[in-house]
Amino acid sequence: MTGAVHAVLDPGVLMIIVLAAVYGVFIGAIPGLTATMAVALLVPVTFHLDPVHAIAAVVTLVACAIFAGDIPNTLLRIPGTPSSAAYTDDVHALVKRGLQERALGTCLVFSVAGGLVGAVVLMLFAQSLARLAALFGTVEYFWLYLLGLGSAVAASRGSPLRAALGLILGLALSTVGLSTAHGSERFTFGIAELYRGINFIPAMIGLFGLSEVLRNLLVLDRHPDGATARGSPDQDGGKLGKGLGSVFGLALSELWRRKRAALRSAGIGASVGMLPGAGADIAAWVSLGVSRRLSRDTHAGGGKCLSPEIAAPLSASRGTDPSQPPPDPLLEGVADATAANNSALAGAWVPTLVFGIPGDSVTALVIGILMMKDVMPGPDIFEREGGVLVYSVYLIFLLANLVLLPVGFLAIKAGAALVRVPHRILLPIILLFCVMGAYAVNSSYFDIGVMLAMGLLGFVLDQWRIPLGPVVLGIVLGAPLEERFIGTLNASEGSLLAFFERPQSLALGVLCLALWLSPVATAGWRRWRRA
Amino acid sequence: MLPRTALGLLAGLLFLGLSGCRAEGEFPDRPIFILCPWGAGGGTDRCSRQIAVLLEQDLGVNVNVINATGGQGVTGHSRGARARPDGYTMTMMTVELNMLHWRGLTDVTHESFVPLALFNRDAAALFVRADAPWQTLQELEGHIKTSPDTLKASGTSQGGIWHLALAGWYAAIGEDPARLSWLSSQGAAPSMTELLAGTVDVVACSLPEAAVQMAAGKVRCLGVMSPERVTPRFPDVPTFEEQGYDWSLGGWRALGVPRDTPEEILDVLVPALKRVVHTAEFREFMARQGFDWRYEDPKTARATLVHADRALGELIRSDAFASIRRARFGAMVYPSVLALAFGGVLAALVAKRGLKRTGSDRPTVKGWVHFAEGIGFVVLFILLVRPVGFLLTGGVLLGLLFWRLGVSHARATVLAALVVLPVYVVFHILLRVDLPRGLLGW
Repeated sequence: MTGAVHAVLDPGVLMIIVLAAVYGVFIGAIPGLTATMAVALLVPVTFHLDPVHAIAAVVTLVACAIFAGDIPNTLLRIPGTPSSAAYTDDVHALVKRGLQERALGTCLVFSVAGGLVGAVVLMLFAQSLARLAALFGTVEYFWLYLLGLGSAVAASRGSPLRAALGLILGLALSTVGLSTAHGSERFTFGIAELYRGINFIPAMIGLFGLSEVLRNLLVLDRHPDGATARGSPDQDGGKLGKGLGSVFGLALSELWRRKRAALRSAGIGASVGMLPGAGADIAAWVSLGVSRRLSRDTHAGGGKCLSPEIAAPLSASRGTDPSQPPPDPLLEGVADATAANNSALAGAWVPTLVFGIPGDSVTALVIGILMMKDVMPGPDIFEREGGVLVYSVYLIFLLANLVLLPVGFLAIKAGAALVRVPHRILLPIILLFCVMGAYAVNSSYFDIGVMLAMGLLGFVLDQWRIPLGPVVLGIVLGAPLEERFIGTLNASEGSLLAFFERPQSLALGVLCLALWLSPVATAGWRRWRRA
Repeated sequence: MLPRTALGLLAGLLFLGLSGCRAEGEFPDRPIFILCPWGAGGGTDRCSRQIAVLLEQDLGVNVNVINATGGQGVTGHSRGARARPDGYTMTMMTVELNMLHWRGLTDVTHESFVPLALFNRDAAALFVRADAPWQTLQELEGHIKTSPDTLKASGTSQGGIWHLALAGWYAAIGEDPARLSWLSSQGAAPSMTELLAGTVDVVACSLPEAAVQMAAGKVRCLGVMSPERVTPRFPDVPTFEEQGYDWSLGGWRALGVPRDTPEEILDVLVPALKRVVHTAEFREFMARQGFDWRYEDPKTARATLVHADRALGELIRSDAFASIRRARFGAMVYPSVLALAFGGVLAALVAKRGLKRTGSDRPTVKGWVHFAEGIGFVVLFILLVRPVGFLLTGGVLLGLLFWRLGVSHARATVLAALVVLPVYVVFHILLRVDLPRGLLGW
């Protein structure tokens, strides 16, 4: 441990952390550019660094990029990762009420809190968590994906049926292309580019970003400065001025008030996030779902979820301290989800360090980097040189999150200015960024077309009030869900019992079915009581 | 004042453009791109990036990697084959090139490319859990012969190279490959998770993909499907041949350019890649990653590709293999389930009158015109950017849209230039995204 402290407090490492933080925030803030891409660009550079330096660069870069993704997510309604798509609409709704600085401040503070808790979880429980992860096989993943999808339906505002419709639409979109379970083509209409299916990044940019641009264009002649879109700033936004206080102060007191919720969310993030595959994406949804369930109970007394317009004054009337803005269910959900997706980053390192199995695409790159340094991830890494490398990873996680605070603050200040740009100038620029973001992922023109089609779809779905977050999750989880579903069925010759054979699959399956069936059951129970 | 500034900027832009429009110099005089058909972080991606760095030092121009992933390699290989044959787009070809066309998934074959250098061949190997009862291939064969339907295996997607390798061995020992239960997965790493979790009994993949688990003592390798042992990295792993099975199969990685690439460009690239592959740095990289290093010049590489193509073609077209492609739960099961669910939810929504449009105010005609202009921006961008180039297309379209939305001519011009130039710098120069150069050469 002391060895690790010395290794990390080296001025070179600290400088790398700061530089990587700036680079990470920059990349993350540009729609369509992913942390994976940034790390891949960094890989050739790391060949000339020693392992601790290289890890410092990657860890910091990723932690900062995922927070920075919240900036376009909030201001432009373009999520950076599927996990942030969970709260895109909520956080953007806050901007429409003029609360952009408060929303971003909350994202920053809760991201950092989530990241710190994730690092501590990694530090204390990596090996025992890894043993838990080793229990997960095909069937368990099937249930986990269903659990994530169920949370998306439960966590979406408005009618769960509409959320389910969006979800199924997303799942259906994921069946386009070469099916992974069979290796046969479906719904490609002979277009070679469609073989690889619908890439979720252009889809996400189209569904959220482009559709928002289109909707604003539609009303531009009536509200040239986006009056409907943003309105005048709320009292608290205006009153507290533009200083450090408006971003940090409120968010910090919010964090203190909701410290337990933050812990809970970060815990969910780290434990679900450690599962290789789509762990982080599911973590944010599960955390949001839990948060919404609980806040429904405290704010509105259970039952129907209120629209923000009703909910905000309702909770305001209950607030006691006039200087303190009222608790806001929207903001709380965003805070919980963002804490979860940041702590999930640390979670992804659990299988990487313990088994050498990458938890996500970034840790896959990390394994490559470590192997270049003759370091083999796996159980041995904990013994090697007294575990200096492992403890360095933990410490770097802590430091990276602390550095994120000032860097993220500057980014928020720069980003929030965007809101004051008139729409006739802002909308074309966002449009260009939508196009560039969709193109940059694979340098494919076809992806721009996908983005356009998804933009129109998103526009139509918005009109019918079908939430878009579940659509994105459906696109992301559709293929792995099918692979597990068909794989299990084929292995068991079609017996459905295979889904419940092992104790861990039985437990998850029951949990999952309970989640899916509980709304139906409660509705039935109410109707039966009324009759 | 403003219009003059705008004119000045436009003139400056034009000048920049014309100065970039010099006659084609000696190859290469601009960035080269390597298309990698597999995702960032995987073995093929790591090789591509290592070669890119070294080639950049050798040729003196930027060499960037594009991950054109998906469709089990169809996307990347077909994009590479259809690229302009000017040497600026190379493809990191993998063994799937020898498989996809036999499965009817693409018409791109190894003949669509000129191989420049083949630098790696990794044989398939069989892995079991450390606590599995089988110590040798004979014992595993014994188990397969006594209870053929019980063995579950994974390693890659259904019909992928490692699946073929194991199915081929089944055929070699006289078993019906259809009896092998294959769990389709996204690659070796998730398969290892399945193996450790106990859902599958055997994983087929290459040795480096399982090196970490082997070193940790979690899995045991029963044999490698190569003619000789893989030295120096895995000297203790016996080959299939040593254990009495005449069976070998594996993947390869090679760089290629489209078929019609002119001779003088090949004369630059082939020696450059030969130097790169032979550098101490690259050999050390391959050794550290556990990849089998070799160098095959274009002629030898072609022979390897022809041989692999014939062998895999025979395997894929054989009756035995045809049967394993008919899984009981076919490709339309899942979409059908989804269609049913969609119908159900939609019916429930309609019944509950839950589908209502938002009650926002009706847009005006002018609103719809703006809407159409937004869509027009994207469509025109897709159509024009390749022939015209990014800066010109982006700048002009952006300026037009600003102007259509009510910004004055002059301000629209200035703004467009102020936005497009930094975007170009960030995406093309900093992030090395391949932006089309178009008419003017930039």
